[in-house]
Formats: sequence, C-alpha cells, structure tokens
Amino acid sequence: MAALLEMEDVRAGYGPTSVLHGISLSVPEGEIVSLLGANGAGKTTTLRAITSGVHWSGHIRFGGKSLSKMRTEDVVRAGIAHVPEGRGILTELTVEENLKLGSHLRRDGAAVRKDYERVFEYFPVLRERRHLSASTLSGGEQQMLAVARALLMRPRLMLLDEPSLGLAPMIVRAIFEIIKTINQTDRVAILLVEQNARLALEISSQAYVLEVGRVAIKGASAELKGNESVRRSYLGY
Amino acid sequence: MQGLTQQVISGIATGGIFASLALALVLIYNAMGLVNFAQGEMAMLATFVAFTLIDHGMSYWIAFPLTLVIAFAGGILIQRIVIRPVERAPVLTMVIVTLGLATLVNGLAGFIFGYVPRSFPSPFSVQTVDILGAFVSYRDLGVIGVSAVVLLAIYLLLQRTTVGLTLRAAAHHPEASRLLGVRVSWMLALGWGLASAVGAVSGIMAAPILLLEPNMMQTIIIYAFAAAVLGGIESPLGAVVGGVIVGVTVNLAGTYLPFVGGDLQLAVALAIIVGVLVLKPNGLFGRPSVRRV
Repeated sequence: MAALLEMEDVRAGYGPTSVLHGISLSVPEGEIVSLLGANGAGKTTTLRAITSGVHWSGHIRFGGKSLSKMRTEDVVRAGIAHVPEGRGILTELTVEENLKLGSHLRRDGAAVRKDYERVFEYFPVLRERRHLSASTLSGGEQQMLAVARALLMRPRLMLLDEPSLGLAPMIVRAIFEIIKTINQTDRVAILLVEQNARLALEISSQAYVLEVGRVAIKGASAELKGNESVRRSYLGY
Repeated sequence: MQGLTQQVISGIATGGIFASLALALVLIYNAMGLVNFAQGEMAMLATFVAFTLIDHGMSYWIAFPLTLVIAFAGGILIQRIVIRPVERAPVLTMVIVTLGLATLVNGLAGFIFGYVPRSFPSPFSVQTVDILGAFVSYRDLGVIGVSAVVLLAIYLLLQRTTVGLTLRAAAHHPEASRLLGVRVSWMLALGWGLASAVGAVSGIMAAPILLLEPNMMQTIIIYAFAAAVLGGIESPLGAVVGGVIVGVTVNLAGTYLPFVGGDLQLAVALAIIVGVLVLKPNGLFGRPSVRRV
C-alpha cells in the first residue's frame, strides 16, 4: 500500500538560495515519522514545501494525489494540519477564537463538540483561559493551543515543527504524551521535526536525518537510536 | 444649555456619518495595512447609484439596501481587479493606486452625472422634536438610528460569526490563517466589499445635508481620517467612537468658538489628527505596535 504522504526528489529554496536538494521521504498512514538534523539542514523548509509555503519542484503526493501547484489553504483543506515554526498562534484573538479557527471548516457539529471536550480534557488550562487573548499565554500554553487547534482540524496528517522549542522539560514531556495519544486514538499520521533527537526517536516509528538539504540517513527509529556512530555523528547525544 | 444639548445631538448625527466612513477605512486598513484614499469617492459613486435608483421611481427603503448590495459587489470587484495585482507591491505603490482610483472614480462620476449639485431625498423630515428641552430634527435622529444599526450589524458580523472570525484572522495573520484553511485572498476581497457598503451608508446619509456632487465626500473623508486616527486606525470600535467624538467636537467648535465658525471646522479635524499623532499615536483603542527583532 502506498504511503499517506510521499515526497520524491523535492527541491525548494528561497529566491536564488536553494535549501532542499532532492528530498525523498514517506509517511505511512497512522505513523509518526521524525525528521532530524542540525539547524539549516532543511527540516522546516521540508514542512513548508508540503503546505506550499515555499516554491518547490519534484513530486509530493498526499493520499495518492499530487499537491503540485496547490495553494496552502487547499492543501490544508485536503487534510494536512501544519503547526509551523513559532506555532502560528493568532495573538490578536482569544484562545477560543484560535480553537474555532481549527474547527471552522467542519460541518459535523456533534463530533466537533466532542473534540472540544477532549481538547479541554488534554489541556485544562485552555478551558480556563478560553476567553483571554492568546497573547497572554505562556510559551508552553501556546504550544498546547497549537496542538489542540491542529487536533480540532481532524487532519489525516499533522506536521509539527519543533513542538519542544523553548519549553521546560516537564511541559515538553506532557505535550509529547498527548501527541502520542492523538496519534494512537485518531490514527493521525505525524511528521515531526525536532531538535531533541532522543525524544523524537522515542515517540516515532521511523526517522530521517537531513544534512544540508539531503536525506543523510533513514531507518527505523529504534535502530537509529541503538546505532552509536549514527548517534554521535548526526544526532549529537 | 438647551443649545448645547442640541449641538451635541446634531454632532452625534454628523459623527455617525464620519463613523461609517471611518469604519470603512479601518476595515481596509486591517485587510492590507493601508488606508484607502478612494474610500470617499467610492461612497460618493454609491450615493449616485442610490440617487439614480430613487430618481427612477424606486422607493427610498428599497433603493437604500439595494445600493449597499451593489456597493458591496463593487468593492469586491475593485479589490479583485485593481488591488489584487499590486497586493505584494511596496506600500507606496498601493498608496498611488488608491489615489489613482480616487481620481478615476471622481472623474467618472463627473463625466456621467455632471458637477451640478443635486438635492438628495431624505426619508426623515427636518421638523424638530423636543428632547430634554432641545429641538432635535428627525433627520438627525434618523441618521443616528441608521448609522447605529449599520455599525451594530458590522460589529455582530465581525465578532459573532465564523465569517467575521476568519475575516479578522486573515487581516491580522495572513500566513497563519492560510495554514488553518482560510481563503485569505477572498477574505480581503470580502473586507473591501464590506468597507464599500459601510462607506456607501455614510454617503447616502451625508447627501441630503451636503447636496450630491462628485466632490461631496472630499471633506467628509478628512473627518473620517481624523476619526479613524483618533480611535486607533486598527480598531473598528475606535473608528465609531472617534467618529462621534470628531462629529461633536467639530460641531461644538463651530458653534461656540467664534473664530472657528463654519470656515475652520476642517482645521479642527486636522488639529485632531496632528494632536493624536503627537500625543497618543496609537489612538484611543489602538495597541502599541511591538516588533520583535
């Protein structure tokens, strides 16, 4: 069976600077795949290519359909939720309004209400603060909001760009637990970009390591984790 | 005292006209970070549309909403045809485009309808009614009522509906909104449509007082700028409050300051603009703009 997301020889860049020099990867239905690598390796750009945030060439297929020439909003409507670098919180709006923007395209009212219950169960702080401006949330709370909003979109695939960035270890743990729960209960596939390789390899089934715009290594997460030389030279721990 | 109440109420009515146009300016400012210098001219053209409809025997209360629908569609059309191609251009380019649009619409109206001022009907009589000992005209009350209804409708649309939510999202955070599936480009067009319709209300309310001709809105737009700046150029509520304050201030200054009279009222508006920019650049309801480096 074909994977949910397939990228084949994808090249992308910003103006004259090319960042991705032919990336190929695939995310199977319902699995977590992590995308590792140093700063500037092209992890964020890979995610941005998928949702058309950057010009790209090559092939990207989602559920068998080409995403070529599609606009960001149409890629998203096709079932991909992208939590971008910086979390994409709309700080002019309230917490609740941010959540509503996650569910605004859904027409299954009863299921939406259930999902809100779930979201508030996962992140009780969002219920407490739902009438406050999203700008008043701490970094960790904003990350929770971003993940909650992505869940409300009911995607088939989530793209998460460094959910641990700038957060205290305890909060990172909590958020990763919930990411894992979402993956297991909803069978949502997740493509996870992370600096924290140890954490990412723990949660994912497969991993790709990028090096200056190319895939340097790929394999099962458990194998990469066990391979000492890979760990030392690419993952830095 | 009686005179004062009278002037204040009459100022609120004028303020309603300013507020509508100021709100139009704010809607577009939020959508593209720029004031639309053609807003007044678009309102004037819409008023000519209403005039034509009424002139052909249509009843005022049918012509009025119909004109708003036409103005709405016209605003969307202008955004798609004129503004969209320069969406990503430097700010100065867009300023020039809206200035050009203003000149174009003004000339077009002059070409079609001529420059002879025409009297425009008002459904409200100029007879007065006694309120708290002050004589207030039904026309002023009507203008206040219509403005209030329109402004309330826009408020409810923006704050209480999903379309309003996506509209605000698209205006403030286009990139993040796209990632949530919002069709940002159409939302901006919708913003232009709404602005155009709200502006048309101000034109239709102003026409019976000022007489309808192509340059009718050119002073009103200055007052509207003052109102929008006073309220904090990004705040719809600020535009409304600013409109009323400017309306009342200008009216009182014209009545009670002998040297202002009827001639220097516009100078009062400009003084408000300068004063706000110097003392409180973010206006009454604006947020200080913080840029992270």
